[in-house]
Amino acid sequence: MRHVSEYRSGEVARGLAERIAALVEPGQKYKLMEVCGGHTHTIYRHGLEDLLPEGIELVHGPGCPVCVIPMGRQDDAIAIAEQDGVIFTTFADMLRVPASRGSLLDAKAAGADVRIVYSPLDALRIARENPDRETVFFAIGFETTAPSTALTLLRARAERAANFSVFCNHVIVAPALLAILRSEGLALDGFIGPGHVSTVIGTEPYEFIPREHRKPVVVCGFEPLDVLQSIYMLVRQLAEGRCEVENQYSRVVSRGGNPLAIRAIAETMELRDTFEWRGLGFIPSSAMRIRDSFAEHDAEVRFTVAGARVADPKACQCGEVLRGAIRPWECKVFGTACTPEQPIGTCMVSSEGACAAYYNYGRLERRRGAGVLAAG
Amino acid sequence: MNDDAAQCVTCGDVAVLGEVVELRGSTAVVALAGGREEVAVDLVGPVALGDRLLCHAGVAIASAAVGGS
Repeated sequence: MRHVSEYRSGEVARGLAERIAALVEPGQKYKLMEVCGGHTHTIYRHGLEDLLPEGIELVHGPGCPVCVIPMGRQDDAIAIAEQDGVIFTTFADMLRVPASRGSLLDAKAAGADVRIVYSPLDALRIARENPDRETVFFAIGFETTAPSTALTLLRARAERAANFSVFCNHVIVAPALLAILRSEGLALDGFIGPGHVSTVIGTEPYEFIPREHRKPVVVCGFEPLDVLQSIYMLVRQLAEGRCEVENQYSRVVSRGGNPLAIRAIAETMELRDTFEWRGLGFIPSSAMRIRDSFAEHDAEVRFTVAGARVADPKACQCGEVLRGAIRPWECKVFGTACTPEQPIGTCMVSSEGACAAYYNYGRLERRRGAGVLAAG
Repeated sequence: MNDDAAQCVTCGDVAVLGEVVELRGSTAVVALAGGREEVAVDLVGPVALGDRLLCHAGVAIASAAVGGS
């Protein structure tokens, strides 16, 4: 496939793995966090972990937007969806996320008009086609997705779509990384940084990590060779005693990001004082709300939203998985009571979730060295 | 789902590169691994046929440097 096969060569992958192995000090541990769910999938889909030396441990981070939405916000979404006259539009991944009283899919089965959309622009089109009803878009995602919501809000205002609103749950990645850096006992050595988030925000927002926390960051693409090269760049920094933000994904990421997208977000949204993340608790300035100047398109203004905090199910250890404190197979219900077909926690629901990645690619326990899966 | 990557392309840090094959005002038709898709190009600079755009949730969020590393 054009633009893809060149990033999946098994021969190049093995060469990179050898270069990584040559840098690793015998007996030394390197604990690297892949921030994004997309990276987790690349690592396990292509068997990259099996190419790496024993000393390198990869731990999953909080970069799955479905996984980090707390139960209370999912309850609020369902409450809006159940209101008379509402067409509730959502990305497919949110449909099966369990809330206190079932999922959005359950609400749909019970009669709520819940529709899957690929883009918030599709939600706006639905609003245009149904002028007598309220159409709400369930906005989730990091800075990758916020531009599409921002553009949709700008278009909604331009075309005076009075029956369109957004239930805004956009989160931003840097405060979550800071919360992880401040959490006890993780002892990370570096970050495989977000790739597509960084196309929007650039690499500059991560510069506090080496400057204030002495951890290297390599912004990374999503093909197997991208990930291996990023691991090599991290280990090389550690071996050379350097500590900085490097950009492996330079084919789409710049230091300053996408100024048009940043401006669209700033025009339509502003930082919330605080926001609850599943597993990480409340993190200051870590999420976006819709600006007052766009209040007519803000579902939290147009509808009554309880905003109650709801605890996760006791058996669920998604929080520890999202902090990188445990690996998915260490969760008590992983692969038994909690499976992609019948998830208990969000990490098993979303295709970007760590548990789903480990489960779907057969990584049901730690068995490094049991066989090398070729990356090509 | 993106059939190639087996990942959901509707959320998160997943986006896909597509080549512009048609332009209609602020909309471009891009050729992706799984077919063709319309994307809004308001948030990237001037776009020409043949450009590669990083697309996410129906919106182009970046232009890719052709031949970039």
